[in-house]
Parts: sequence; structure tokens; C-alpha cells
Amino acid sequence: MMLSRKFLCSTALAVLLTGTASAEVTVLGWPGGPEEAALRAVTEIYNAKTDLAQEDKVELLFTSRDGFFDKLQVDLAAGSTAFDANLIATYSIGRYAPFLEPITLSDEAGSVFGDTVLSTMQFDGAQYGVPTDLSLHFLYFRKDLIDALMADDTAKSLYGDISEKYLGERLAPKNPEEWTWRDFAANALYFSQSVNPDSPTRYGTVIQMKNLLFNMMVFHSLPRSYGANWMDDDGNITVDSEAYRTALELAKMLYDAGATPPDSTSYEYAEANAAYSAGQVAAMVQWNAAASDLVAAQPETVTQAPPTGPDGRFTHIHGLGLGLNAAAENKEGARAFLQWLSTQEAALAYARSGGAPGLATATAEKLADERPDLVQVGDYASNYGFVMNGGTSENALSVYEAQAKEFTGYWAGTQSLDDAMSNISASMTELLK
Amino acid sequence: MRLLPSQENAILASPMVLFLLALLGFPVVLSIIYGFSEASFQSLMSPKLIGIANFQLVLQDSAFWDAAWFSLRFGVITALLECVLGLFLAVYLAPLIRENGWMVAVLIIPMIVAPAMIGLMYRLVLHEFAGPVPYYFYEWLGWSPSFLSTGMVFQTIVVAETLQWTPFAFLLFLTAYQAIPQDIREAAAVDGTRPWRMFWKIELPQMLPTLFVAGFIRFIDGFRVFDNIYTLVGAGPGGSTTSMSIYIYETFLRRGEIGKAMAAAILLFVVAFAILALGQSLMRKRR
Repeated sequence: MMLSRKFLCSTALAVLLTGTASAEVTVLGWPGGPEEAALRAVTEIYNAKTDLAQEDKVELLFTSRDGFFDKLQVDLAAGSTAFDANLIATYSIGRYAPFLEPITLSDEAGSVFGDTVLSTMQFDGAQYGVPTDLSLHFLYFRKDLIDALMADDTAKSLYGDISEKYLGERLAPKNPEEWTWRDFAANALYFSQSVNPDSPTRYGTVIQMKNLLFNMMVFHSLPRSYGANWMDDDGNITVDSEAYRTALELAKMLYDAGATPPDSTSYEYAEANAAYSAGQVAAMVQWNAAASDLVAAQPETVTQAPPTGPDGRFTHIHGLGLGLNAAAENKEGARAFLQWLSTQEAALAYARSGGAPGLATATAEKLADERPDLVQVGDYASNYGFVMNGGTSENALSVYEAQAKEFTGYWAGTQSLDDAMSNISASMTELLK
Repeated sequence: MRLLPSQENAILASPMVLFLLALLGFPVVLSIIYGFSEASFQSLMSPKLIGIANFQLVLQDSAFWDAAWFSLRFGVITALLECVLGLFLAVYLAPLIRENGWMVAVLIIPMIVAPAMIGLMYRLVLHEFAGPVPYYFYEWLGWSPSFLSTGMVFQTIVVAETLQWTPFAFLLFLTAYQAIPQDIREAAAVDGTRPWRMFWKIELPQMLPTLFVAGFIRFIDGFRVFDNIYTLVGAGPGGSTTSMSIYIYETFLRRGEIGKAMAAAILLFVVAFAILALGQSLMRKRR
């Protein structure tokens, strides 16, 4: 009995060690979602290549999403050799760059992803990662509600009265494709029971106002359409601008009028989706990743690019990707894998396995039947995608954090707009100097 | 050779002291070094000593004082509520528990649950569209309070904390209440003492040391609260639910200001230690 136990233990250990030895490139991926499934699928394809040396085969490592970037930051700063390549995100490249090494993508990367998407993985002019997944924002709206509004003259008149009272101008209902942000606001007010007690939905929209950096990304499509930016070309901080003030005031007006739930100041992605899915919200701006869930919950939902403003139509983009750990033990093997990931073969396989790469229009059209959503994502990224000046800098993450604190404070009424602007200008000047 | 009691105590305590020094000593020393250094994730391996500059930065930071004020209010209010409720439950349920001991196990379930889980649970339970509490409010009254709105969030997290940790105070008070000698109560009853007077004049004074200890522990716990608030509402709009622990966490990991975060942690430790010393001194005087 003792002998067989020893034998079993030794065998198990030997099998484990063999497994480790056969996978010499360790990649730390984004766990627990379609990104993990897609990365597993393309890794299988890569490892199955006959010309791949045994020591360059890839093994994947997944931890947990909770505090992922905090743990990664500590690992990288400590010079961890536990992984050779790791997940990076647009807003954290600058912070991680001292612990990463630039990489070279395949020759076809430009035509596969397009320059806008490749730029989400660049810092100081160098390419630090291969883009894997792209996130941007859609406007989600209930077509049944809009159609009913457009067909009812009494409703149209009430819509005009409401917009005149809250926005200072009489607006007529429009097709959402033609919406400006003021039309979006008028629609949100009309479909809110606090403003229009006969509204079929409790709220006209749901704005994620929790003190959280990701919520700032969702918000930024609005000020950008009024011309907002973090810095001008000379590096001066330009956050205290008419564009940011107009956008912040518009969001606060909607919150104060009850066009978004009173709990919105504690809402993030999941809470906002739950509100929309419950059928109590008429339209919202949300990450593209929510499309399948929201459409499944409210089948009358239609998606399109966020509303337009005086400076045009914009959608905030940021990407996930994989970069090279400067302390990697097998840099060459990792470089080869990352370069292969930037080929059309890998990008298409990644998309087919559930990932959401930001593909150039010509590449996305190859998947038009299987992944029509990627065509829309690619189109919006190319035409409306933006990253703020300084959005990939060392302290970009901290800038979003500071904005989340100050802007949510203004929305919740804990400070004035002037104080919020003054505080965020000082913070950003310090962070982006 | 016969050892003095004080020598015996030192020898018996030494394994624990050595263990704590080994386990806590290194991180404490490192924290102190970083507290007096300019350190970020980029310079983690080569911190530059800058004296007390980090402490000055922390003390000049209005967010630090806001967090300190929040923690103080939260710690005092929750400690008071938990002690009052725990005392009431202990005294009220004591006769019932004497016959049904299993009730204690049921009553202390909330404090077994991880605080982070409690935060997540309330996040779901209180959500206007997914939570059962607002659902029944709408169902029965056609209206629901917005539990996590700016105006109500402080009350909500106080209630959440109180509901979770009242069982702790209850358990201490129940033990103290049951330890009061029965013959004292019988003698008072024979003298015609009414129940309310017996509680105020006989039982409560006997339980005062426990009341003090429970209140003190709950205050310290409330003052350094992190998990349940962070998972429920984060740092709050404009930082309105930022406790001292959340301030330190965000300064360290979100803003990467390691030296400043460590300086704030050292200040928190010093304040907690001072309060602890004061409490112990008061206890000794009472004895």
C-alpha cells in the first residue's frame, strides 16, 4: 500500500514536471471571459504547428479578474519571471512600459487591425503589445419605444414641451441615427416617469456614475463630441474647458431630473445592464461587450454609434492585448508567439473563438456571416474611435481615477462644478507633467 | 533554580513574540522604510530616503482628513449601534437561549460570512431592478427608497455593518450576562427589586467591562473598515465613502504613491495604538 502511494505520488509529480517542461513560453491572460476561451483556442493552433520547437510551445496562465491589474503591477515591478508575456490594456501601457519590452508585429498587422487599433497598444512611439480585444461604446435603444413616439402627435408635442423646459429649446423626436447628445437628453427626459408620468419606462436612460475609472471611459464619448481633450499639442492640460463643463452639466441635469436611477452613483457595468435588461430604460450608452446580453433581454434593442456633438461623433476605444515581460526567461519564444498573434490567421481564429479583436474593415468582412458585430466594431473604431492625448501615458490610469472622483462628486452634489474643475486640473497637471 | 513569575512569563511568551517578529517584522520594517522614502512601482527596488516629506503630504491632503472623519463617524456609530443591539438581544434572549442553546449558532451566522461577500450580497439585494428589497417596496407601496443613492448610502453601509457584527457583541454580552452569579439576582429579587431596576443597578454594572471591551473592539474594526464598503459602493461619489483603509489602498495601488500610502498606514497604526493604550489604561484604573 505504502509503495503504491509513493508510486502514484512520483508519477503525478513526474507528469506535472513534464507538462511544465514542455511549455516554455508562459502567457498570463485575461481570465474568465470570451478572451480566455479565444486565447486558449489560438494557443492550441499555435502549439500544433509542426515547425514549432518544443521549448517555444505556449502555456497559459490565468488568475482572477478581481484586482488583476493591481497584482500584475506588483508582479512586474518585482521582476517576476512567472510569465513571459502578459495582458496589457491601453490605459495601463504607460505605467507598465518600464517593465515591458517593445515588440515587432508581423508585416500584415497594419492591414489586419488598422492604425487606430494598433495605436491602442503604443507608448512613446513604440509598439508594446499585439491587440487582441477592442472595447468601445454603442448607443443601445429600444426601437419599439422610439417608433411609438414618432407615430404619436400628442407624444411629439409633449416631447417638445419637455425639451423646452429642461434644455431651453423645443426639439422634435428623431431617428436615433440622427441624434445629437441634446436629442439623447430630450429622449431620456421624455421616457422618465419623474418627468413624464405616462412614460412606459421608469427611466429614460441609465448613466454609470460610480466613482470608477471605467465609468469615465463610457462618459468620455460625450465631452469628446464637444471637442474635449486632456492636453493640447503643447502638453497643456485642457480639462477645464467648455466641452467638459457642458458634458458634465448635461449628465448632472439628467441625474437631478430623475432620468437615470437615483442609485446611479453606485452603478457600474453590471448594474446598468440589469436596469436596461429589466425593460425600465429606453436608451443607454454602454460597452459593446454588452450587446448580446442586452439584445437577448430586450429583443427590440438596436445598436449604433453614440450620438454626435458639435465636433462630430466619437466613441472612446481601448484595447486589451499581450505584451512582452522585460524579465521574461524566454523572450525569443514569446516574441515569436506575439508576432504570430498579429497575423490574419491568428486574428481570424481568435475572432471565431469568441474574442473581439478590432479588425480593419476588409478583415472583418471575412467574418461578416459568423461575427457581424465585429464589422460594426471595426467600422466604429476606424471612423469614430479616439484615445485622449495622454491616454496611454504612465499615469493615464490615475487620471481616469482622479476624474472619477471629481466628476462623480459634482454629479452627486458633494462639490460644485468649479471646484471639480479646479481639483481635476491640479491633479492632471501633476499626473501628466 | 526557581524562576521568578516575570521570568517565567517572558520565557513562555518568547515563542509567540519570535513568531510575530518573524512574520510581521519584515513587512513592518519595509513599510517604515517606504514611509520615509520616495517610492513608486518604478522605484520599488531603490527607494530614495526623503525624511518626513510623505507624512507632510498626507497631513496636507484634504482627502486623508475626509477619510479620517468618515472612519471616525463610521466607527463610533456602528460600535454604538452594535453594542446597544447586542446588549438588548443578549438580555432579552438569555432565558430562551438557556433552554435552546442551538439558537446561538443561528444568531452568529452573519459574522461568519466574509465582509466582502456581505458587500456583494447587498449590492444585489438592494439593486432597484434585480434586488428583492426594492422589488417588494414597489410591489406594495409603488415606490422604493434608493438605498445606495448619495443621500442614503452612509445609512445603508452603517446598517449593513451593524447587522453583520451585532452578533459579535451579542456573544460577548451573553457570556457576561450568564456569568453573573444567580444568587445575586435571587437576593435582589427577595429584597423586592423590580426587573428594570435589577438590570440598571445590578446586571449592567457587572457587564460594564465587557461592554467597554466590545465597544472598543467594534470601534477599531469599524474605523479600519474596507471590504464590505469597497465591494458595495467603492470609494463613493467624490470619495464620500472613503475610509482610512480605502484611502491607503487607493493611494498605494491606484495612484502608485507607495511612500505616501505607507506614511498614512503608519499614522493609522500610531493612532490605533494610542487609542489601544488609552483604553487599557482606563481599564486598569477601573480595576
